[in-house]
Amino acid sequence: MIRSTLLAATALACGTLAAQAADRTLTISVYGFAQDEFSEILYKPFEEQCGCEVVVETGNSVERLAKMEANREGPVIDMAVLSTHDALAANRAGLIDTIDTSKLSNYDKLYDIAKDPLGDGTAVGYTFYATSIVYRSDKVTVDSWADLFSDELKGQVAFPNVTTNQGPPALWMLGKAMGESDPTLAGAISEVGEKRDDVVTFYVRSSQLVQLMQQEEIWAAPIGRFAWKGFADMDLPIAWATPEEGQTGGMNVMVVTKGSSNRELALEFMDYWLSTPIQTALAEGLVDSPANAEVEVSPEVADNLTYGAETVDSLDLIPADVWLDNREGWLSDWNAKVGQ
Amino acid sequence: MFQNRREGLALALPAAVFACVVFLVPVAILLSEGFRGAAGFSLTPYVEFFSSPLNRAVFLRTLKLGALVTLVAAVIGYAAAYAIVNLSPANRGRVFGLVVLPLMISPVARTYAWLVILGRTGFVNQALTLVGLTDEPIRFLFTETAVFIGLLQLFLPLMIISLISALENMPRDAVPAARVLGASWLQVFTRVILPLTKEGLVIGGTLVFTGSLTAYITPAILGGSKVLMLETLLYQRVTVANDFASAAVIAMILIVMSFSANLLLKRLARARGR
Repeated sequence: MIRSTLLAATALACGTLAAQAADRTLTISVYGFAQDEFSEILYKPFEEQCGCEVVVETGNSVERLAKMEANREGPVIDMAVLSTHDALAANRAGLIDTIDTSKLSNYDKLYDIAKDPLGDGTAVGYTFYATSIVYRSDKVTVDSWADLFSDELKGQVAFPNVTTNQGPPALWMLGKAMGESDPTLAGAISEVGEKRDDVVTFYVRSSQLVQLMQQEEIWAAPIGRFAWKGFADMDLPIAWATPEEGQTGGMNVMVVTKGSSNRELALEFMDYWLSTPIQTALAEGLVDSPANAEVEVSPEVADNLTYGAETVDSLDLIPADVWLDNREGWLSDWNAKVGQ
Repeated sequence: MFQNRREGLALALPAAVFACVVFLVPVAILLSEGFRGAAGFSLTPYVEFFSSPLNRAVFLRTLKLGALVTLVAAVIGYAAAYAIVNLSPANRGRVFGLVVLPLMISPVARTYAWLVILGRTGFVNQALTLVGLTDEPIRFLFTETAVFIGLLQLFLPLMIISLISALENMPRDAVPAARVLGASWLQVFTRVILPLTKEGLVIGGTLVFTGSLTAYITPAILGGSKVLMLETLLYQRVTVANDFASAAVIAMILIVMSFSANLLLKRLARARGR
């Protein structure tokens, strides 16, 4: 009798625990890269800590925004990561909510530019990257963004397509090198259009560039720092330029879906992601550059990341509203001048 | 065959329902986006699409490359298929296996191989330099030539397989008979082989042309955005501009082009058969 009662009680307890775990399910939508590393470093330890389940959806920003829009009335995603400009698009569409930063114990540890990138408390930066030019140091020297179109590099350059996250920042800096700061990027796009035949390819994936550099198809290309390791590991003299106009880049942010029923859990997860141990582990795994200023890594690891207050402060980023308001115009201007 | 029509229909029903639910309905929903204007039905997205010089250039390039790949695949395919059907049965099986083999390898892997082969330091440039045809490496990558080569390699097996099947069904003594009666090889091809294998050519031509129109990986990797094709433009419209109306227009154009090619080839085959 006692045994059967114990069994029944155990079964009941297990059932209740299972029900609780199932109740606490957090659905996140993130970029598809390095998910094995994210699972080991972030998702699994968080699940153990919160006794909840983290459901991970991956895809590009457009798919993520489309899904958030389609489920506006009954959100299926609790928390998402986006580029700053896509977060602004979500913000303008009324899809994201203000983040209660008092619940983020690690908020004060962030670099200032990551704290409130949209200016209204709806996003928090968790990683960024610098964008500059990689080049064959035995063939050329690159001191300015304008050097991409020098005679030395004629027919030896890959330039990011305007449709990529590196495209507009590269055009932004090329415009600055030409003495322009027009957000339509008209001058820079015209310059690329005129020099179109001198460009080997307008690349879409930076992973493709390593092979092109190895095959000596190209000697230089603007890339994000996250892709640097592939070049650094090559048996060729490759350098990372520090152009006189400075480096540009991008930032990714976390947002909370408006109407999410798991708001508290989403904030708990975001705080965990921003914590010093997790940001350090992600940095050491070369997964993401830290937005947490307390993170300390070895010089070897730092060399592969966008790391340190000085680097972060020096980044000349395109403001999210400029990006969003001009994106369509950049694309049609690019297609008219460069695409044909 | 069946005792009544109902039995036949009942057997076809599951496949028809499946095709309808997972293919026809989603495609219809997608394509309807291209006819949606501010006030209901509208052809404005089509007018806007063709009013752009870039879109017209991309449309013509896609058409040109598709037609060229189909034509060259037919020429090479006939020669290869004729040689294969005249081999001994054992050798025919081996060579046929070699023709089919590339189809079992991912198009991504095959296309990436071309990146290496066509590169400045790749096999083609090394060979051209070695035989003295060029001093400087020629730039093949990210040109229409590279896309053409990639697409031809990708879809040639489909043409060869279709033509082998058609040639195998041709009477074995038709060609010797024509030769005995004094026909030249050109006459043998145009008056005997072509009329008797036109169905294979229609099937192979449709597969190659449709495949060339809709392949994404090969133009994206070997052509990049300097050689935009309709399929790479479609991807760009959806992923960058979130513009499903233009994407639906492009999808409709691709479907119409595929059906038109099939009808045209059938008509040509009928005309030759008269």
